[in-house]
Amino acid sequence: MAPNAAVPFWRAAGMTYITYSNICANLVRNCLKEPYKTEALTREKVHFSISKWTDGKPEKPTIRSDSPEE
Amino acid sequence: MVIVPATTGQMGVLPGHVATIAELKPGVLSVHEGNETTKYFVSSGFVFIHANSFADIIAVEAVPLDQIDANLVQKGLVEFTQKLSSATTDLEKAEAQIGIDVHSALNSALTG
Repeated sequence: MAPNAAVPFWRAAGMTYITYSNICANLVRNCLKEPYKTEALTREKVHFSISKWTDGKPEKPTIRSDSPEE
Repeated sequence: MVIVPATTGQMGVLPGHVATIAELKPGVLSVHEGNETTKYFVSSGFVFIHANSFADIIAVEAVPLDQIDANLVQKGLVEFTQKLSSATTDLEKAEAQIGIDVHSALNSALTG
């Protein structure tokens, strides 16, 4: 059994599937006609809050609310 | 019948297809019902074919072909081909290659 079948080029470059898939989706969205393009751009927006945990306690959360970067 | 753009090639799915999970590459998904065909472009994703003749397509973006702008596709293809030749790190090369793959697939979807 091959220990690792041919890895896709993006994984060989250190990218994860999620990053790859999101890049593909963004590229497709950017090639749409109006009005679909503006609708699609709203789908790119994310809104989430992150907190680092140390010693079992959460630190102050940071809120990220913008379009995801490529 | 449904034709899905799997990474291993175009895959035709009929009722009774063996249960399968396949990864999709950017490409055209065509649904043939009787004499009608509906085509969508999927950005990437997976297809899960269940044993009971149901299939799920999971994609981040799936658009009908007529929503795609041919000019933007051409511009993107030129831009990423240029990026690939000027890319230095592995990551930049991978991103440029992804750009080329997606735009070429969009191009063939529009012209095919």
